Amino acid sequence: MRIQEEMSLNDKLNILTDAAKYDVACTSSGVERRNNGTGMGNTKVAGLCHSFSSDGRCISLLKILFTNECVYDCKYCLNRRSNDVKRTSFTPDEVCRLTMEFYRRNYIEGLFLSSGVMRSPDYTMELIYATIYKLRNEHNFQGYIHVKGIPGASKEWITRIGFLVDRMSINLELPTATSLKLLAPHKTREAILKPMRLIQNKSLESKQELITYRNAPQFVPGGQSTQMIIGATPESDHQILQVTESLYQKFQLKRVFYSAFVHVNEDKNLPARTGEGPPLLREHRLYQADWLLRYYQFKASEILSEEEPNFNVLFDPKCNWALKNLGHFPVEINSASYHMLLRVPGIGYTSATRIVKARRLGTLDFNDLKKIGIVLKRALYFITCNGKMMYPTKIDEDYISRNLLNTKERLPAGISADGMTYRQMSLFDDVNFGGIADVKKSLSL
Amino acid sequence: MLKKVYRCSDTVTGIFSGIHDAWLTKNRKEEAGIQIAGDDEVTLFCEYLDTEESNKKALAVEGMIKRYLGYAAYHDIYQACLSFDLKKGETILGTIAAAKELTDSKKIMDHLSNPYVHTLFYLSRNVGGEAHNLTEFIRFGELANGVLYAKITPKNQVLSCIAPHFADRFPEENFMIYDKTHKMFVVKEAKKQWVLVQDEFGFAEATLEYSAEEQVYSALWKDFVSSIAIKERENRRCQMQHLPLWYRGNMTEFC
Repeated sequence: MRIQEEMSLNDKLNILTDAAKYDVACTSSGVERRNNGTGMGNTKVAGLCHSFSSDGRCISLLKILFTNECVYDCKYCLNRRSNDVKRTSFTPDEVCRLTMEFYRRNYIEGLFLSSGVMRSPDYTMELIYATIYKLRNEHNFQGYIHVKGIPGASKEWITRIGFLVDRMSINLELPTATSLKLLAPHKTREAILKPMRLIQNKSLESKQELITYRNAPQFVPGGQSTQMIIGATPESDHQILQVTESLYQKFQLKRVFYSAFVHVNEDKNLPARTGEGPPLLREHRLYQADWLLRYYQFKASEILSEEEPNFNVLFDPKCNWALKNLGHFPVEINSASYHMLLRVPGIGYTSATRIVKARRLGTLDFNDLKKIGIVLKRALYFITCNGKMMYPTKIDEDYISRNLLNTKERLPAGISADGMTYRQMSLFDDVNFGGIADVKKSLSL
Repeated sequence: MLKKVYRCSDTVTGIFSGIHDAWLTKNRKEEAGIQIAGDDEVTLFCEYLDTEESNKKALAVEGMIKRYLGYAAYHDIYQACLSFDLKKGETILGTIAAAKELTDSKKIMDHLSNPYVHTLFYLSRNVGGEAHNLTEFIRFGELANGVLYAKITPKNQVLSCIAPHFADRFPEENFMIYDKTHKMFVVKEAKKQWVLVQDEFGFAEATLEYSAEEQVYSALWKDFVSSIAIKERENRRCQMQHLPLWYRGNMTEFC
């Protein structure tokens, strides 16, 4: 039975924020735009985080759903149609008012608008378009706007919205097509990848056009991103990373976000409740590996393999790679290539750049490295300066790993290093479902 | 011979005037230094002189720095002038003196092994960092007359660093940012340039009257912040790392 009553803006905001909070992306980066002297707003290329919530995640955008009414029945989602929750929708005017008033008080950097599927994907996209159009044209809002594309939306709506927003994203939801079928029966891989491809092509076109006409409208200038739920389905980390890599390569995504699965529904297709909470460490390791792919010139196949499909609990992926490939070390700081410097644990890409610049002026020793900002307690096992190591150390996997664990760095919650060698543990024992062929198949479009 | 120490006020004009006088003394091969008002430490064998501050001196120094050290170094020196560190005068003077020794003075900021340059780099980064954080964490409230008002209590004098950001962002708004620590304002009228104003009249915050809508939106914002958090992922340490407690006193959602 449907009972309708008028809700206050306050109630609506609470319900629709609560429903949107599982969306990960809250970035406002990628676009530098000055205000044109009218209206309100500008954007910064680095992005600004205006607040941080009690879970430590940044609040950059007004992250809301347009509506939490939904015709889909995705098993993991709080707003699936089979759940009995309070349903409500904003009107375009309410969203505009909230955005403008929050923005002028410097609460937010812009708007992140997602939505449940009301009636049909196209109907929902039309509502979103109406909102964004109003915000951009009637209120002259020039801040950041991130809109979620609804899988299955038609080409016309994606194109129209793309010219108004800064970033667009379509959630991949789950790493493989099999899992998608199991947990999100109304979404298909094709319906997700097709608009993704469309956005990619359109923004390439728009970049071409900008070369010829300086004032040509820009299509999704901040690029597109996507997100995957981690831990609801049995994929291994290796599979997930392969998916990520092909998304970066084939779809030129700006970011792939990972969202540790949070139990909000009971369903026979979802993993059983364990009482351990969401798999945060796994999510953390995936982000670390993601950075290795984007900034550190790593390939997914170097980080994990079919034989070792999951991340090491105790070491980050880069450190783990170094320990498995000790043949490449030690690296001579004064002569090693930038590519090789990036692979040394304790050297980030900023400090690698600083090393390359500084060694042009003179030879570097360990004191200089400290000033440059290198984490020597990690790096010292892997580097030499002028042919000398900092201390006489052994290039031996067990020796180094034991010492690295002794540096008293904060280990992930719930893990103690006492009396254990790092080899004995693995995040998940039941690993080899599906396999990598499954991943490759599901991404070919 | 006694070292000549020029006393100056804690403003960019003051410090630059001090540098101007000290630099002329140095050029006569005499020892010179700068002491900023508020720093009462007295050293032996020094002659303390009051600087006559003027825009002319400050502009001369500004021009000299830009011409010989480059704009990037000027940016760092300017930011260091705004720092809370009262020894910043010596740091800046030391850096300029070090630059003179180099064949290419424009590379001065790369010479981090020089202790003056290293300190200057640190001060500049500290000011820049605080200014960046405040562009994020400032909260405006709407007054009854429609003016946006924000209060900050920064460690450094960051007003002139953050004003351009908001002036660009809100071209059609009247806004005012009050730096309570240094008793200064940034005032911007719609469609006009922003100005920096010293509080000479004893500004009383209690006299401000907020608009009726202000209460509504700050309540909405507080609700938003609490409902956007995922309870299962709570991590106060992480929140504290990104948003230290001392910023929170002026933020709507933590008041």
